[in-house]
Amino acid sequence: MNVFISGGCKNGKSGFAQDIVVRLSANRPRYYVATMVPYDEEDRKRIALHISDRADLGFTTLETARDISSCLTKAEKNGTFLIDSVTALLLNEMFPDTHSGNADEHALQRCIDGLLKITENAENAVFVSDYIYSDAIRYDSFTENYRKSLAAIDKALAKACDTVIELCAGNVIFHKGRIEL
Amino acid sequence: MDLIIGGAYQGKLEYAKNKYKLDDSDIYTCSENETLSFDRKCINAIQEYTLYCVKNSVDAVGEFKANREKWQNSVLICDDIFCGVVPLGADMRAWRETTGRLCAYLSSQADTVERIFCGLEQKLK
Repeated sequence: MNVFISGGCKNGKSGFAQDIVVRLSANRPRYYVATMVPYDEEDRKRIALHISDRADLGFTTLETARDISSCLTKAEKNGTFLIDSVTALLLNEMFPDTHSGNADEHALQRCIDGLLKITENAENAVFVSDYIYSDAIRYDSFTENYRKSLAAIDKALAKACDTVIELCAGNVIFHKGRIEL
Repeated sequence: MDLIIGGAYQGKLEYAKNKYKLDDSDIYTCSENETLSFDRKCINAIQEYTLYCVKNSVDAVGEFKANREKWQNSVLICDDIFCGVVPLGADMRAWRETTGRLCAYLSSQADTVERIFCGLEQKLK
């Protein structure tokens, strides 16, 4: 079973995703595929908060900032994977050198291939993304390219996953499939 | 009239093309640099037209009301740019509000309203 979750910032996506993973995995291994590379103190605090949120849930953390499907080789075959988040993965793949700001033009395809490989090979996987498409701003071309690329990944995952969920202020909207809550 | 709304890059036009069997010659895509042409089956990117209206002091809702018979059997597509934070610039604020008002009017006139989320449709009306 593959589940895709998106929605606005701080709407409870990560906590909700963790609950789904706990349920899907039952007594089999569960993996938290951590994608975020901390750049400053704010990032480190956010990561510490996420770690304490899942402290008692029995996750093994797999740090995988790039080449996302490599997490499969570090895990048991019957594992359930939480990929949190697609947003951070794309950022890492697109801008490997944070100083130059040049985007890697192959990043999008690499992300899609890697993520779809997980949907095909993992027993269960839950993907978390961010909905960043509904505001009245004219962005610079770097940001616009990033938004467009993230949307392409979201659409590919929404197509491949059995269940697609939007979280809105902690409320669940099913766009495809269903799971018991 | 069928209205399709949703975020940027969510697959609204592709969805419309498949559902209503549209080809490229059926589609008019709006631009912030020109006024609107109502004579095709599908009017895409209406948020670009509302930006044109803001920049040129045109009443977007009034224009749509005045040309109702031209689009009443069309497929209309618009980005829901009115969901985010209130922008700092006056033009961007007016753009956001105009687009919100226009979509509310078009929704009230529509036979169907769908929202596209990550390529998947959600029926609103």
